[in-house]
Formats: sequence, C-alpha cells, structure tokens
Amino acid sequence: MPITKLTQMLDILQGKAKRRMVAAFANDAHTICAAYSAIKIGIIEATLVGDENIIKSICEKHDVPISAFRIVHEPNDVKAANKAVALINQGEGDFLMKGLISSDKYMRAILNKETGLINPGAVLSHVTVIEAPAYSKLLIVGDVAIIPQPDLNQKIAIANYLIKTAHSLGIEKPKLGIQSASEMTMPKLSSSADAAIISKMAQRGQIQGAIVDGPLGLDIMIDPESAEIKGVKSEIKGDTDCILFPNIEAGNTFYKTMTKLGGAELGALVMGARVPAVLSSRGDSELTKLYSIALAALGCN
Amino acid sequence: MNRRSITSFRELTGFLKRSTIKKHIAVALGGDKNTLGALARSVNEGFVKATLLGDRKQILSVCDQEKIDPLLFSIYDIAPELAVQEAVRMVKTDEADVLMKGLIGTDKFLKAVMDKENGLLPPKTLMSYVCALEIPKYHKLLFITDPAVIPIPDLEQKIAMTSYAVNMANRFGIARPKVALISGTEKINPALPSTSEYALISKMVDRGQMVDCIIDGPLDIFLACDQDKASIKGVQTPVAGDADILVFPSIEAANSFYKGLMLWAQAELAGLIQGTSKPVIVMSRSESAASKYYCIALSCLMAEGF
Repeated sequence: MPITKLTQMLDILQGKAKRRMVAAFANDAHTICAAYSAIKIGIIEATLVGDENIIKSICEKHDVPISAFRIVHEPNDVKAANKAVALINQGEGDFLMKGLISSDKYMRAILNKETGLINPGAVLSHVTVIEAPAYSKLLIVGDVAIIPQPDLNQKIAIANYLIKTAHSLGIEKPKLGIQSASEMTMPKLSSSADAAIISKMAQRGQIQGAIVDGPLGLDIMIDPESAEIKGVKSEIKGDTDCILFPNIEAGNTFYKTMTKLGGAELGALVMGARVPAVLSSRGDSELTKLYSIALAALGCN
Repeated sequence: MNRRSITSFRELTGFLKRSTIKKHIAVALGGDKNTLGALARSVNEGFVKATLLGDRKQILSVCDQEKIDPLLFSIYDIAPELAVQEAVRMVKTDEADVLMKGLIGTDKFLKAVMDKENGLLPPKTLMSYVCALEIPKYHKLLFITDPAVIPIPDLEQKIAMTSYAVNMANRFGIARPKVALISGTEKINPALPSTSEYALISKMVDRGQMVDCIIDGPLDIFLACDQDKASIKGVQTPVAGDADILVFPSIEAANSFYKGLMLWAQAELAGLIQGTSKPVIVMSRSESAASKYYCIALSCLMAEGF
C-alpha cells in the first residue's frame, strides 16, 4: 500500500529491524531530541558523535536519558563529522544525520574522496517529501537544496532518486512530472527541452520504475481540473507523485511556499552517497526532523 | 481525403488516369531521352499537359533524335537564357501547375526558383526534399527526407521536414502517417544531438504543437520498418515496424539509404522539392525512366489543391 501521510512511515518502520543512525556533531538539543523521539517510538538506534559533556548536559536539561544513545566523544565539529562518516564506513551505522555543524562542513565530510561516503561519479542530491493538506497524497520533489542548476545528467540522477524514494514509500509505479513553465515544448528553454528528453528516455526504459512526463506546468501535474480544461494528453494529469524541478530556485520556492503558506509538513534526505544522509536545518520543526530520520531509515538498503 | 490510401506507384498512376486531374507542367529547356519519354507517357495517359520552353529548333532536334512525337507538347520558343525565368513566371501566375527542370544546370534552375522577387519560394520558407520510395519488400510506399537538399538539418529544419513529409503522405490518402525519426538505436544518447532533438519533436507532436501524425524517435530502421524485429526487441513504439515516413538525421544517411535500395532492392522513387508554392521537379540524370514518370505523377498529385 502506498503511503499517503508522512506519519505512516513510522508505522512501517516499527515493523522492521531498527536502523542505526550516526549523528555528526550532535552538540545541540534539536538533534538530540529528534534522535530521542525516533528512538522512543522504536524505529532507530543512535550513535551521537560530539562533545560528551555538552551532550550530557543537554540530555539532563531536556529529560532525555543518556543511556538511550551510544556516545562517541569528539569535541571538534569537522573531526566529529569525519568520525561519524568513518563509523558508517566501518559498518557501525546505516545512515547519517547532521548535528550542530554547518552544512558545508558536513557535506565535505561526505564528499571526501578518500574517507567520505561517495562513489566516483555519483551525483549527490536532495529529496524532499511533502505532505500538503490540499493534495491527496505525498509529493516527492527535488532538488530544492543542493544542486543549483542541474544539467541533463544530474536531472536524470535526480529523477532516479525521486523514483527510488517513491518506491521506498510503497508507491510501486510513481508518476513523475518534469516541471517547466508550460506543457508546450519550447526547444530554446533548456528546462523544457531536457524534460522532453528525459520523458523519452523513460519511454525507452533508460529510466525505469515510473511513468514520466514533461514538460508540464505545475497546474497540470497537481490539479486534474486544470489538466482537463487544458486538454493535455498526459498520463500524469493532476495526479503526480514526484516533481523534478529544473533548478533550485523553482524547487526551493515550491517547498517553502508549501510549508509556509500551504500548511505542509515535510521530511527530507540527501541521496547519492553510499547511505542516506539527513540534512536538517535548525529552522526545521521537531516533526520534520523526525520525518527526515524516518525517511532516511526507509531509504537504507 | 475520402479514399483508400495509395500504396504503390501503380496505384498512384492508376488513380491519376482515372481522375479528371490534368496538370500543366512547364519544362525549363527540353530534356534528355528519359525525361521527354516520361513526359510523353504522362501526356498520353491524360494527366499531364506539357509546355517545353526553349529554342524550338533545339527541342525539335532532341525529339527527333529520341524518336518522341513533338506534337505531344506545346513548344514555347524562347531564348534558352530566358527559359527558366519564363517557366517560373508561368507557374507563379498559375498559367502552369508544375515547374520542371530540363536540360539546365541545377544551380541556375534553383536560383530562379529561389529568387526573392520572382521565384516560387515564399519568404522564410525552408527548402527541403521528400522522396517516395517503392520497395518491393515493403508493403507500402515509404516517404523519406531529406536525401538531397539539407546536409545536416537542425531542430527547426527537422520539424519542417517532418511537416512536408506528412503533408505528402496525406496526399496519398494516409490521414495520420506513422513517422519514424531515424537513428542507429532507439536509445536517447545526449552525445548524439539528433536523438535529443527527436525526443523534443515527439513531445511536440504529443502536445499538438506540430502536424497531426503518429511519431516516434529515435528508432532504427528495423524498429521503424520491420514488424517482427519491433516486437522481438520489445520496444514500446506506436510506429512498430509500420512506418510511412522516415526522417533522417543527415543527407548522407538518407541519400545512402535510398541509393542502396535502388542498387540492391529494385526500389523506384519519386521525389519533389519541398517548400515551394507549387511543385517543382528536379530529377537527376541517373534516375530511371520509370522513376521520372513516377516523379511527374507525384507532382500532379501534389499540385492538386495547391
């Protein structure tokens, strides 16, 4: 059964073996509390890499039992991130989470050619799963955070990550819409041209596991009535599961509009490394952090 | 068009012979034996009226040499250097329906056709070439483009070529022809720009931005024209080995395709310049008498309703 609400991820995970999370530089209440809430509902185990004293005092302050975690002491942020990555590489964790460290440093630890988590040629990208009150199912979108202006190959990689995420949410044959300003093909607009190319690649089996169509305007993708009125012959027709955005501005604006004006909740993860990585920001709600952890746990092989 | 589609050149000429169609062809300078022979046959069969423009004496002497009855044609006695311009003028002013190249250099002939003021090519119109092929081993006519005019078509040119070919197939009674955009494989390969362009063109047709047809590409010749191979490979394509039209990525590919078929598969062809306001016949001396005759027939079909 496909998941239509983010909270259903938790139900699925409760029936599975616990995934082991490693938090990089978990020196803040946000990270510790999010990890603990996931532990409490029984979906993960967690290793916190960071300053042991600080972690202990935060736990005391927030009534979190320190025994809930394995703690690896490393007071320096960069070293802590590298240590967390090393633990994953040693098989002591299934996925990674960012703590009180800048995204830059965190990503650098993942991307390090020798000690990191990335295979040569892999594309690192960000996948967001949005639950919007106005839409009947989850929306899996990318890339809203990492790749500013994806080229054709990066878009293909993003498409594959969106599809893989949809599969992990129980959506067997997701519908993937490739966003542009219009469903009309405009060869001089690269987002439009790339969309046509990617949808043909999907027809040819060069991208698998989804029904792919583009270019499509957002209205055609998420609103059956618009699709009907405009008479667009698309298999997606207002029922999309995944949206591939042509650039970070479009994607970022979409998810922020959805959360800030549309009352949406979300979970997000970074894909393309050998394991899923959570890249939450301090601005994220408790619930978003929990969902992001759950999404990463679901994304583990 | 409310009739069964035409699937062979015999059906084409049969259709013309039975119809009331009679097109007036203006020939710029007389022709060689094959050309005049094909023209004479078309006149005899009733679907053509021909005017040969040029030096009367010269035309009569060619007819005499080739044993062709000059009375089948109107002869328009005119200085040879003025013949092309006059023939173009006749077609442009509807005195004639079809322009045909006779014993004149292709360059000179096309220059007159493309003349901005007095020619037959509307402004900003792309000139291209579509050719119908009759291949004994294929179950219907196959239209190909462009084997003769555009060396390496860009996206816009491919779109125009597709429209021309669809328009020609429509004239043969094929309402929604199946168009295969030809490459070496059916896979998209961004390193091969034509495959990306094909993806765009297919999507444009899907979205109703182009002529109405059933289109898919990239496809190789097997997937386009061999129903067995198409099902064996398991590629989902609406063309599925039953193509009416092949759009090629370059002149080398299209040209080699048809010449190979003529050389080894007894194919016959009939082709026309595209983009002109009236049909224009440019035949090469190497074409057979039969091909020339079919070419004339094709021009008459295309002239109908221009």
